[in-house]
Amino acid sequence: MASQDRLKTPLLRVEGLSVSYGPNQVVRDVSFELGRGKSLALIGESGSGKSTIARAVLRLLPARGHATGRVEFDGQEVLSLPERHFRSLRGRSVGFVPQDPGNALNPVRTIGVQAQEAAALLDEPNHAVRKALILDVFAQVGLDNPQRVYDSYPHQLSGGMLQRVLIGLAVLPRPALLVADEPTSALDVTIQKRILDLLSQLQADLGISLLLITHDLAIAAERTDALVVLKGGVVQEAGRTAEVFASPSTAYARKLYADVPSLNPNRYAALRDPGLKRADDAAAPKIEFSGITKTFTVDGRTLTAVDNVSFTVPAGTTHALVGESGSGKTTAIRLLMGLDQPDQGHITVAGLTLSDRTPTTLREAWRHLQLVYQNPFTSLDPTWKVESLVREPLDRFRIGTPAERNDRVREALASVGLAEHLLSRKPAALSGGQRQRVAIARALVLKPDVIVLDEPTSALDVSVQADIVEVLLSLQAKLGLTYVFVSHDLALVRQLAHSVSVMHRGRIVEHGRVADIFDNPREAYTRALLEAIPSGIGARVRPVTSAQISTRIEEVA
Amino acid sequence: MRNAYLNYAGKRLLQAAVVVLLAYVFTFLVVSILPGDPITNVLHDPQNAFTMAQIQEIIEAQGLNDPVALQLWHALSGFVTGDLGLSMRSSRPVATLISEVLPSTLILASSALAVALVLAGLIAYGSQFLPRRFGQGFVRSLPSLFLSVPTFVIGLVLIHLFGFQLGLFMVIDPNSFWATVFASIALGIPISAQIAEVLVANLDNESAQEYAAVARARGLRQTPLFFRHFLKPSALPVVTVVALMVGEVLGGALITETVFGRTGIGNLVQRSVVTQDLPVLQAVVSLAAMVFVLVNLIADLVYPLLDPRVKILGATAVRSSASTSDTASPTVTV
Repeated sequence: MASQDRLKTPLLRVEGLSVSYGPNQVVRDVSFELGRGKSLALIGESGSGKSTIARAVLRLLPARGHATGRVEFDGQEVLSLPERHFRSLRGRSVGFVPQDPGNALNPVRTIGVQAQEAAALLDEPNHAVRKALILDVFAQVGLDNPQRVYDSYPHQLSGGMLQRVLIGLAVLPRPALLVADEPTSALDVTIQKRILDLLSQLQADLGISLLLITHDLAIAAERTDALVVLKGGVVQEAGRTAEVFASPSTAYARKLYADVPSLNPNRYAALRDPGLKRADDAAAPKIEFSGITKTFTVDGRTLTAVDNVSFTVPAGTTHALVGESGSGKTTAIRLLMGLDQPDQGHITVAGLTLSDRTPTTLREAWRHLQLVYQNPFTSLDPTWKVESLVREPLDRFRIGTPAERNDRVREALASVGLAEHLLSRKPAALSGGQRQRVAIARALVLKPDVIVLDEPTSALDVSVQADIVEVLLSLQAKLGLTYVFVSHDLALVRQLAHSVSVMHRGRIVEHGRVADIFDNPREAYTRALLEAIPSGIGARVRPVTSAQISTRIEEVA
Repeated sequence: MRNAYLNYAGKRLLQAAVVVLLAYVFTFLVVSILPGDPITNVLHDPQNAFTMAQIQEIIEAQGLNDPVALQLWHALSGFVTGDLGLSMRSSRPVATLISEVLPSTLILASSALAVALVLAGLIAYGSQFLPRRFGQGFVRSLPSLFLSVPTFVIGLVLIHLFGFQLGLFMVIDPNSFWATVFASIALGIPISAQIAEVLVANLDNESAQEYAAVARARGLRQTPLFFRHFLKPSALPVVTVVALMVGEVLGGALITETVFGRTGIGNLVQRSVVTQDLPVLQAVVSLAAMVFVLVNLIADLVYPLLDPRVKILGATAVRSSASTSDTASPTVTV
């Protein structure tokens, strides 16, 4: 009877949780419940407090952080529990899957040694048996060669493999609750789908409850039963995922919905579609990339990074290069920028031949060709002010008088929607979205014809991404810029590009107009990329047994 | 991999040999352009009471009238074959003079290093485990305190307290066990400060890493976290720091030897400087260069064995940064 009562209480109940760092309150009076075997998403943009809540639940807040309120795990208040009592819950009852798998394992110790720490929670005295259990769980999370993974150091594995390892270690002691803090935001879209599938599968197979932290509403809709929408540390909206997703009641939730590219493929149609006409007029292409091959020699083996790749981009349009990590898209744009020289082939940009140039003659070409880098947190010198950052290209190319340069800096900042008072700020005082705007302004200030965008939004939240996309498209409409847009996110490509080349292992497997490729993908690889996009629709892809379906219906009812 | 490592070690050894030879040539040239003439200083010193004929004989035997280039050639070929020449002051072989005092200095330097490592380890442990309000702040301030007190002051204080007041060791027998212990402490304290500073900063950094939180979430206690997770990555830079401090240890050893009245290289150098005994100075400087180059070579060779991320590429070891994201991480040359 007592155990019946226990099973009726939710596994995790958070009540009036507030967290502050010194005088700053970052989470305010948050309450939610997570049932046994269920899943709940905490969703919001950076700074919404969603990760802080996860850390508070896990009791992993930094020393300055102070949490008040109640966090009940399995009926027991844990916030005020002494660490030595809570420690018995760590791992055994509450598992944790972190955001960036690349930093989540000690780099100088083997995976196996660290896995043994998780296995120590199993009450299994025999080292060999523990190792067998570890290898089992590695196989269960889809790692092909568990023994090799066991003997590896973290840097020898890819991000996707590391995340599988971490998920495996988290579920190894069979916890009742798994807290996953943006488990896929550092990974490619296709890997993201596999990792999320794995989490859903394990959740169903092992009856684990999942607390998923994400900034992507589509992911939350696909994967969870309930949803808590957070902004500025305050709950905006909460409820069953399907209901919130179908009819968000707050403006903020509606904005989150509108910002997901896959749910709104034609959001920027008005800005994007004028370029389609230019895309058909292929008479004088702005960029010609013909028959390019580039090989590298790694450890004595020859690696063809780019294999006979050709594409052309008409002026004023956006061409997207799409593919997973290692597909050769980054090498392709390095060649396009003239940073590497191709082994074969010919590149022209704005009528200038780029291949076979020396560093001095390349400078000329760079006035017409600028790059916006992937990560605005590392691409801006942290010791420089915004004004100097944007002004530098003008100084280097000796364009105009100092007064004219100042005007052009202000003009460039205004065109990306940054206020003038930010001129004297340093990057640390800017948000991610503001930093990427600075990077775009810096590319714009030379008035180039072509801007190469290397995954310009992959380090940013969905909502910030939407802002940047809008800035880019309105600049294109106003200035007639030509973009080469590199991404692994096909949903984003559909929103803003006119033509697309899908790259796989250095080759273009498919290319054409965006609408054609999306509506009629001919290659299996393209279809796989398209299927990996979290759509939020046809929610709940997880495999479920009939017994679990019946309990779910009961609990929902 | 193994081949690449041996290849790398071979290349580095060759480079080290070149550096030592260059150091020898450099000291020779510096000494030869210095004002002051060994002939006047030593041979004409009335205390030595050489006759003119004897002086002439010595000049001939040592080739002191030869052109500098020829003298360098003779010295260098001697150096390569292990013949360091004769001391001006005592006419004994320099190699013998050095080998008489070298063990004493090596004992002092290595025990001082051991003291420094133990002290730094204690400070590092305290910085992580003492209560935040009591003791931690004090322990963390120790390195800057240690650095601001010169070796000879520490040495004098130790001699006064333990030698004169407590009578733990005989001041007149500076090579006894206890005298050596306290000399090592005097020399080890400032060295420990620099190691401890690096260690504490790295421990703080490591314990703020994401993997620390993940390991904690796995149920690991603070103590195994410290010993199994944080200590090794934090101790890696210590290898570099210790290698770079060899010069300081040797320099400090000379001062400590003087303060404690120990025989040793310091003592030998001091006497040789006063009397401008060039062959001895030349040999000591070359020896120091050799030790320095050798220790740094060992550090570079040990590093790839300790940190799996360090790769041997051609003739350089390349360390990738702590972040191992999917994008190419920046590399740092060790």
